[in-house]
Amino acid sequence: MPESGRLQRFFSARFDMGAVRTFLDKQLHKRLPPHTGWLHVFGSLSLLLFISQTITGILLLVYYRPTPEAAHSSIKYITAQVNFGWLYRQVHAWGASLMILFVVLHMIRTYFSGAYKRPRELTWVTGVLLFILTITFGFTGYLLPWNQIAYWATTVGTESANKVPLIGGWLRYFLRGGEAVTGETLSRFFVVHVIILPWAVTGLIALHLVLMRLNNLATFERVGEEKPTPPQAGIPFFPVHVAKEGVVAVLLIAVLVTLSVVAPWEIGEPANALSTPEHIKPEWYFLPSYQLLKYFEGPWGAVVGVIACSFPFLILILWPFLDFGKERHPRKRPWAVGFGLVGLFGALFLGILGHLSETDMTLFGRRYHIDLLGWPHALGEPPKDAPSAEH
Amino acid sequence: MNQKQINANQPTRRGFLDWIVAACSTVTAALLAIPAVMYLWPAARGGTAENVEVPEAGSMPPGQSRMVQVGGKAVIVVRDASGFRAYSAACTHLGCLVKWDAAHRQFLCPCHAGVFDDKGAVVSGPAPAPLPPYKTKEIGGKVYVSAS
Repeated sequence: MPESGRLQRFFSARFDMGAVRTFLDKQLHKRLPPHTGWLHVFGSLSLLLFISQTITGILLLVYYRPTPEAAHSSIKYITAQVNFGWLYRQVHAWGASLMILFVVLHMIRTYFSGAYKRPRELTWVTGVLLFILTITFGFTGYLLPWNQIAYWATTVGTESANKVPLIGGWLRYFLRGGEAVTGETLSRFFVVHVIILPWAVTGLIALHLVLMRLNNLATFERVGEEKPTPPQAGIPFFPVHVAKEGVVAVLLIAVLVTLSVVAPWEIGEPANALSTPEHIKPEWYFLPSYQLLKYFEGPWGAVVGVIACSFPFLILILWPFLDFGKERHPRKRPWAVGFGLVGLFGALFLGILGHLSETDMTLFGRRYHIDLLGWPHALGEPPKDAPSAEH
Repeated sequence: MNQKQINANQPTRRGFLDWIVAACSTVTAALLAIPAVMYLWPAARGGTAENVEVPEAGSMPPGQSRMVQVGGKAVIVVRDASGFRAYSAACTHLGCLVKWDAAHRQFLCPCHAGVFDDKGAVVSGPAPAPLPPYKTKEIGGKVYVSAS
């Protein structure tokens, strides 16, 4: 008897294999709504990147040492000495950025197609929580190389927690494991990054997928008027949609490896707790918050700024319960689409300002200095409050 | 309201026992969580905050600055004609370390362009409060810094 037959007999004697097979067949050949297309692959790409991050993260863990004395040198060792260490480190670093990008694209598609509406509110809420956890992944992982940029970005990031009303001081102390960013902070961020977040995200992804399967993908029909997709009209998940996902997955892996080779992430100088580098800037996904915080000055400025930065996330979580309209098609939801576009372009605009701030650039043939708040000043007319730094 | 509905609204012995079990489980879980939360609360560390010596302070020319760590916090020590003065180096905006601009006699924050005068008061930028001062004292040619 062939081995596969023996195995089948072994399992059939212990489980109802027919029921398992029927369940898997049903999931695999589930019919998706006819409009399901290339824009519906961003969720799968986010999942693929999470799997890639998990695998490359485990490989990096073999050599990484989470102490202030050894962290930076262990990253250098991984990059320079370990076989393919440079590749796994780069794929992990680029994968983090791309994962956030694809989660955002997935959310944009869901928002503008009205797919968050009843009965899929909880699928949206778990998705927003996944977005927040993905950003937290980026924030905690950023410190682990223990270089200057990471150290001071974490100092600024955890200092922002101090501006949270009432509990800010305690929160900062708890996050840092003390008054300043030290080895205690590194240990905490390490545990959150490699243990707590991976399991939390795995659990939430499972819940997100179960909810998605239970309610199927949304159509453009009005809330409460959705009809089940007839077998002859729908698109089979396998092989049609899976083939699309396969194509983009291969392209994504190609992009990931290309970026890793063409634009590698620098290791940078080791962290120095007694010297802040000039003009440090956070990763692109924190640039809108970074720029927004600059516009709030005075004793309560930072408090208001931190609240302003947290507000969009609260709105995102509550959005399915705030948008009562029954229409899903974007052409029939001008207010929701307008609100979404304002939020999206607002974040994009602030991000670009944050990226350009405190740099010089040529605009229409003339050199300009872009100041802290994003205002351009023709060179030769420097801003009044820009003294030169000398130590 | 018929008899069945009245019975459905009546508390039952089983329902009461279920409630007791749920309440006891919640209290037990909360009690078990207390030591875990206390364990996660940071223990005080960071070295002494009293009389930290400024290395080679005697060789510092007037107008220059030096960084030291006092109780785990960065402190900037400036020497001028009247002696040594020390301030917390952490900008009160978002915690980046200020630098001493000897030419303009100002402290500058490299992150968000906060400017403080030579007494630590805010001159411009987003900093909400002055730099907290530290005590300095000179004993036998050596300079020591302490938390105020």
